Amino acid sequence: MQFSIVKSIEDGLPLKAYAAEPDAGLAVRVPINNKPGSESSNFRLIPPGAPQTMAPFSAAGPSPPARFIDPSVPSPPITSVPPSGAPYQRFPAPPFPSAPQTPPNRAPPVGQPPFQPPTSQVSVPPPSFRPQTQVPPMAMGSPPQNANFPPSRMNVPQPPSDSLLSGPRPNFQPPFPGYPSKQPVVSQAPSSFPTHQGSFMPPPAPPSAFPSQQGSYGPPPPVASNLGYQSRDQMQHPVSAPPIGGVQSLTEDFSSLSVASMPGSMEPGLDYKALPRPLDGDVMPSSFLEMYPMNCDPRYLRLTTSAIPNSQSLVSRWHLPLGAVVCPLAEAPEGEEVPVINFASTGIIRCRRCRTYVNPYVTFTDAGRKWRCNICSLLNDVPGEYFANLDATGRRIDLDQRPELIKGSVEFVAPTEYMVRPPMPPLYFFLIDVSISAVRSGMIEVVAQTIRSCLDELPGFPRTQIGFITFDSTIHFYNMKSSLTQPQMMVVSDLDDIFVPLPDDLLVNLSESRNVVETFLDSLPSMFQDNVNVESAFGPALKAAFMVMSQLGGKLLIFQNSLPSLGVGRLKLRGDDLRSYGTDKEHILRLPEDPFYKQMAADLTKYQIGVNIYAFSDKYTDIASLGTLAKYTGGQVYYYPSFQSVIHGEKLRHELARDLTRETAWEAVMRIRCGKGIRFTSYHGNFMLRSTDLLALPAVDCDKAYAMQLSLEETLLTTQTVYFQVALLYTASCGERRIRVHTAAAPVVTDLGEMYRLADTGAIVSLFCRLAIEKTLTSKLEDARNSLQLRIVKALREYRNLHAVQHRLGARMIYPESLKFLCLYGLALSKSVPLKGGYADAQLDERCAAGFTMMALPVKKLLKLLYPSLIRIDEYLLKPSAQADGFKNIMKRLPLVAESLDSRGLYVYDDGFRFVIWFGRMLSPDIAKNLLGPDFAAELSRVTLTEHDNEMSRRLMKILKNLRESDPSYYQIPYLTRQAKLMIYSSS
Amino acid sequence: MAWDLIFWVLCFFINIALLASSFYQLLSLSDLEADHLNPFEAATRINSIVLPEFLLQGFFCLSFLLTWHWFMFISTLPITVYHLMLYSNRKHLLDVTEIFRDLNTEKKYRFVKLAVYLLLFTVVLFRLLSASIFFFFAWKFEELDIRTSLFY
Repeated sequence: MQFSIVKSIEDGLPLKAYAAEPDAGLAVRVPINNKPGSESSNFRLIPPGAPQTMAPFSAAGPSPPARFIDPSVPSPPITSVPPSGAPYQRFPAPPFPSAPQTPPNRAPPVGQPPFQPPTSQVSVPPPSFRPQTQVPPMAMGSPPQNANFPPSRMNVPQPPSDSLLSGPRPNFQPPFPGYPSKQPVVSQAPSSFPTHQGSFMPPPAPPSAFPSQQGSYGPPPPVASNLGYQSRDQMQHPVSAPPIGGVQSLTEDFSSLSVASMPGSMEPGLDYKALPRPLDGDVMPSSFLEMYPMNCDPRYLRLTTSAIPNSQSLVSRWHLPLGAVVCPLAEAPEGEEVPVINFASTGIIRCRRCRTYVNPYVTFTDAGRKWRCNICSLLNDVPGEYFANLDATGRRIDLDQRPELIKGSVEFVAPTEYMVRPPMPPLYFFLIDVSISAVRSGMIEVVAQTIRSCLDELPGFPRTQIGFITFDSTIHFYNMKSSLTQPQMMVVSDLDDIFVPLPDDLLVNLSESRNVVETFLDSLPSMFQDNVNVESAFGPALKAAFMVMSQLGGKLLIFQNSLPSLGVGRLKLRGDDLRSYGTDKEHILRLPEDPFYKQMAADLTKYQIGVNIYAFSDKYTDIASLGTLAKYTGGQVYYYPSFQSVIHGEKLRHELARDLTRETAWEAVMRIRCGKGIRFTSYHGNFMLRSTDLLALPAVDCDKAYAMQLSLEETLLTTQTVYFQVALLYTASCGERRIRVHTAAAPVVTDLGEMYRLADTGAIVSLFCRLAIEKTLTSKLEDARNSLQLRIVKALREYRNLHAVQHRLGARMIYPESLKFLCLYGLALSKSVPLKGGYADAQLDERCAAGFTMMALPVKKLLKLLYPSLIRIDEYLLKPSAQADGFKNIMKRLPLVAESLDSRGLYVYDDGFRFVIWFGRMLSPDIAKNLLGPDFAAELSRVTLTEHDNEMSRRLMKILKNLRESDPSYYQIPYLTRQAKLMIYSSS
Repeated sequence: MAWDLIFWVLCFFINIALLASSFYQLLSLSDLEADHLNPFEAATRINSIVLPEFLLQGFFCLSFLLTWHWFMFISTLPITVYHLMLYSNRKHLLDVTEIFRDLNTEKKYRFVKLAVYLLLFTVVLFRLLSASIFFFFAWKFEELDIRTSLFY
């Protein structure tokens, strides 16, 4: 059995016996102080000289803990707008009453509520109230605590005593990139903003305005309707009373959102501005990296919370998923590539017992002769060739020449013990449907052209292998032997007993048979142009491809245009049955119909074959069954409903080219190890488990991410730090066997608040997404959505229990700064294609295809899909060309609310998979004419966007191009739409 | 009388076979968990004996009905019904792709089955003994019918 060796090498021993001694050595490197009082300062320690470098997250995160505390502030969420954004100022004036926006900018900070002394909130005049003043929170900040902080804390809101009264405020602003942008909002005077104001503290009718969400996320609408500012203040007054402020534990940072109504306003509901919006996209938690600078970059490994709970009881109070999202091959920006290390004769240094790879967190002792494993704390001998003396501080003197001891991400060249066979060559096999519908849609032509154009860029030259099979009701094999001038076609029509007509030569070396392959691809479209065959012998063709590939493994690309109708694996037109929705049988539609597909998928993984499905049909093709092949072989599903080469050709061309040319890791296995006491228990994504904790990934690339959940094995963790190590053993396209190792450390905490503070919304949402999609495979859509909501509600309620009582928050929803977008993403997730609505809301195929895609998406792309960017471009298009360079300036994301759309504007909506270009009703006809040419008055859904010979059109194309380049993994085709046709969901 | 003995001997062997099959499946699953077996092999091994076991168990149950052993029939019936249910839902075979996710439930299910088979085994053993004792020593106490006094 070929995998047995892989297993023994990549074996998962981390869970077995560990030494019981404490990690004395580790404490030196990673001092973590878990004393309740000092925790906070430890975690946020920021290098003194560099406050500005703080990423928005950390700035808004733990450091200004007191900021949001003041309960009397209605809805601080505004403050959570990512600092660099200043989103509201950017609105082109029209959409909102413009007047209010400017004054705020100029409003001197001094005038703001922040300066109220902690105890005197009652006295604040109503205007200052409006705004979710982030500042009053300072009231909570405890002077004693702040006083202890070194100068580095300058970027933290100052203790009320000085900042509030002495007014050095302006000085503090620079370090706080966030503040300036927020202030506009803060100072909006109610009078100038009648409508919005109302919504900050919405009127008596919140239930109606906020139907379900409110009920679940927030407490029932409070008394509010009849409470004036004053009464509200008084009610909350005690909160800011000095005694409480003095308690350090109260520096907990959280935000709150009032779902109550505001007296005196007409407008029901919440102000959309009051809600936090992720206009900066995915912000990776940087506090984590600051704590452990030797950790791997978060693009490779993200924990749902960087604080690991120390006890079962703490875990049970953490209702969000506890786990990690791993993207082992994420694309690194220039200059940050993962270093490749060749140990050559030394052999790879690993722990004897738990097989952990040497990493920056291991400690060397005994004058450098031994090293202590950070995961199981076993003392290992240092091999002779690897020995180096230690300096006075216990560091190895050759540290700077050993990237594996300084960097969290390294790649080792694996010696022969890590191979079960010689490293395989990159292998691409194409299984192409040539039945009539495929011919008519023009798919074959685009595919053939694209493959031909990519032949030079296929990775792994000169070892790359390639092969083709086409099929309709029969299966066509192609002999591409290099001595031939033309490929020979062999037709097999016996579908019940598939055999391969030629043992070799169906799979050939690309560089040797280059001419034959090119001839074949050139003639492929014409070969079948008169084909009228409507059948599809998909199952037998798949088996044939499997037989050809099983010697080597590789990547199988399937182009399928109709429902498999012949031979094994034929599928019924079970279709989108309206009647089964809402019943217990609903989920069966989303499962493969025929066990053939699961069995086949298992066999394919076993022989290291990864499948990518390209589906094109305009009719039902049962993606649920076909996609199973991709799901368990680590592949992905590309779905182009009703493919027309004129419209979708470019998208297919780009995505297929990306699939063929991106760097791919072959015959890979991945394992994640973690310190004793915790264990990864479940894995979510597109792959198959080969043993309890070993992921088999026949072909993996930078666009795939995997999620996993962990649980505590012991009731109490005694260590102070937990380490995680992801190891991906793979064959690089160049033929080298390599191990990519990512190591990260995380503190163990005893306090639930700390877990919330270090939570990572992106990773949580990614895990939630996978869990919910998996749930749709075993139960109703509605159940999947409900369980998602329930978990978020539980988590927020738990958080509320932490703080509500002592702070007397009354009836407002509070949430930690780190999770400010959680509700938004939760709702967006419920409205995403795989989960939304019922029968009528999405085609079954579309649902399944989106489900397969989202199961593999890295965090960043997932968040963009859930909360797409919306930018306004008409002003940029109209600018005189001299100023047109300020391209960056227009890339400002607008909140996805109806108010962002101005009927005089032109907008681009980009979710990473498509563009929607929105023409306002009153957009000047010139623009439309320039962009669309003579078609500008036609029905837009039938117009395709092409470049016209004028500056405006060129600029639009340039914008689209730039947007596409920012994320090349998918190609967005523009859909044009005119106002009143587009439904952008409002994310409130 | 001889038929009674033959019947119980037969039941005895069937029961041993069922026990062995359950035990083997359980063993394969634990091997899989401990990483001594890869999922492909474990699934093939287990799936290959699932159907024979179902058939054998069905026959076991049916034979009690036909021979009018009500108590034994009722006690084997639940498993038979459960097997039928699994089969009709096409859930009787292990799904190799999701094997690790189902591992715990599958193990639990087989543990329960093993326990039930063991219970049955004790009863069958007892009946076998009584049948053989009755058969071989019937002449000694013709007036005393052990069977009737004990089991009917």
